Amino acid sequence: MIAQTDAVIAGIERLKLDFLAYLPSSSIAPIIEHFRVRSGRAGFPVAFPISREEEGVGIIGGIVLAGRRGAMLMQDNGFGNSLTALTTFAVAYNVPLLVLANTRGGLGEYNSMIHSFSEGVPAMLDAARIPAFLVDRRNPPDDWSGTVVEAYRHAEMTHRPVVLLMDFWAPVPEAGA
Amino acid sequence: MKRIEVLEAILPMIEAVPVVVTCAATTRELASIADRPNHLYLLDSMGLAISVATGLALALDDGPTERVVAIEGDGSLLMNLNALATLGFLAPEKIIVVLLDNGVYGSTADVPTYAGKLDLADMARSVGAVVSVASDRAGVVKALRRAFAEPGPHFLHVRIESGNATCPLFLPDPVALKARFEAWLAGHVRLQDAVDNRTMRRPR
Repeated sequence: MIAQTDAVIAGIERLKLDFLAYLPSSSIAPIIEHFRVRSGRAGFPVAFPISREEEGVGIIGGIVLAGRRGAMLMQDNGFGNSLTALTTFAVAYNVPLLVLANTRGGLGEYNSMIHSFSEGVPAMLDAARIPAFLVDRRNPPDDWSGTVVEAYRHAEMTHRPVVLLMDFWAPVPEAGA
Repeated sequence: MKRIEVLEAILPMIEAVPVVVTCAATTRELASIADRPNHLYLLDSMGLAISVATGLALALDDGPTERVVAIEGDGSLLMNLNALATLGFLAPEKIIVVLLDNGVYGSTADVPTYAGKLDLADMARSVGAVVSVASDRAGVVKALRRAFAEPGPHFLHVRIESGNATCPLFLPDPVALKARFEAWLAGHVRLQDAVDNRTMRRPR
């Protein structure tokens, strides 16, 4: 997981963002912390918290409309809070917007109910015509960082929001193995 | 005072700044008075005007753009009250929120909002916004002048009557609206930069 978070950090750094909005999640906390403590330093985006996913769509959308580079970090169960903003603003107005979202509810999940939302996220995004790409344990770290970069390019080139779903789960080796 | 009277009063003061406009009746009324490229109408994104304006104000903070205006309604603000908290937290100095508060969801059959009981100006004060309250044309103009003169974030709470002006439907292609707004903004920034550079080079 450390290699994966480092890879996401490296990918985000390659984006040369001006702004990075984030919502909390344990899986992406090291990424948030990396950018939070470096916020606004030369070569790093201004990183700031938001309180709900839909306002992130509006804020990062506004930043992009002004010609600056922005993205948001969140957890996939927050798509329930942001679908209206994503569809009526980012999709309808062709706003290129990268959303990096860690997944919940899959293998290794400790919460007994979060799968009830998170399992449906890819289908919901598909129904909303928002392209979503996935990286997981099968992707080597270099591929995670490269996919972050390519997802941003894809949003820019296709003039629409793009989601990168990040599944940080990795199997724990058995004792003695 | 009616909504359209407020819009008529502020229009001459916001013609050179980006303006994010909330959906439905407010958009229709403003577009019926003057449909300008610096207006970004959010045709169906209820509650998002302050968030989008916050993003613009952050992005334009170190540029020549004087202010970023969000025209929002009480019902729409209450749909995304988080936007007010985030406005207070991030505190972009260039943002001016013009809240048109008629106490009802004016585009959905005048169903009452919380604004009849809760004071949205007090809420804005509590997050640290510079708040002005107005209920007539002179008060609106005076408060907006102040908002252009002093650093914000500004929250101009305008009490208005309920009721919508009779306007035609406004059905532009949102992609065209966005492209028009982006082109205006890019040109505006280039122009202001050029003016600022000339001013700086001018011998004193």
